[in-house]
Amino acid sequence: MGRDETTSDDGVRTAAITTWLPVPEGTTDVLAMLPAGYDELRTLYRSVWEAGVDAVTLELCRLRIAMLLRSPVDAATRDPRAIAAGLDEDVVDQLPAWPTSDRFTDAQRGALALAEQFVIDPHGFTDDDALAAHAHFTEPQLATLTIAIAVFDALTRVRCVLTTDDGGGTGTAVTAARIGVAFT
Amino acid sequence: MRIHAPEGGQSFLDHQPELFGAFNRLYGRLWTDGSLDQPTKETARLRNARVVDCKL
Repeated sequence: MGRDETTSDDGVRTAAITTWLPVPEGTTDVLAMLPAGYDELRTLYRSVWEAGVDAVTLELCRLRIAMLLRSPVDAATRDPRAIAAGLDEDVVDQLPAWPTSDRFTDAQRGALALAEQFVIDPHGFTDDDALAAHAHFTEPQLATLTIAIAVFDALTRVRCVLTTDDGGGTGTAVTAARIGVAFT
Repeated sequence: MRIHAPEGGQSFLDHQPELFGAFNRLYGRLWTDGSLDQPTKETARLRNARVVDCKL
């Protein structure tokens, strides 16, 4: 568990944030303020963990994205599916050095290369990178990995945009709230 | 495409029909419901495509 996290009865894990959004009292997840699509978002998030790619590899990609986008809430969170699959915190600590560290499998390195290029420069993912990815993952797994990375990237950016420092910047009213970080 | 569509499929995402379905249900819901008007959503979508230089 990361920064002040709780899990509701319906499997939504939330973390405490400070946000510039005017959040109504009693709101249990800022993302649930979406006028439409919250249930579909939860279903999609759950689906990426159940589509043929091991949870540790997915979690390493998610955490690398959180590091690149500098999202403290996402970086502090650990998905329960990855913990159950044997996520090793020593390996997480090595994430910034994944290209050279011997703690990662070749498959994990291939997945992390895709995740990193997706976030930083998707056009920088080359045909050679794609060939390398095919050496470690089937095409169905690559389909899963691509969508999973897209979902992690999108949600991390949403949380970055909605979260502010306690001070909130000049003239900005801020609210203490909770935001969904994992849907199980 | 760097990931091929499966036989009989039209997209690489057809490799994972349940996942693709979940994505489509979210995407469709965001376009058919909600409080933002369609031109605003389309403007944001096009701006995003230009920023990442996606020709599609």
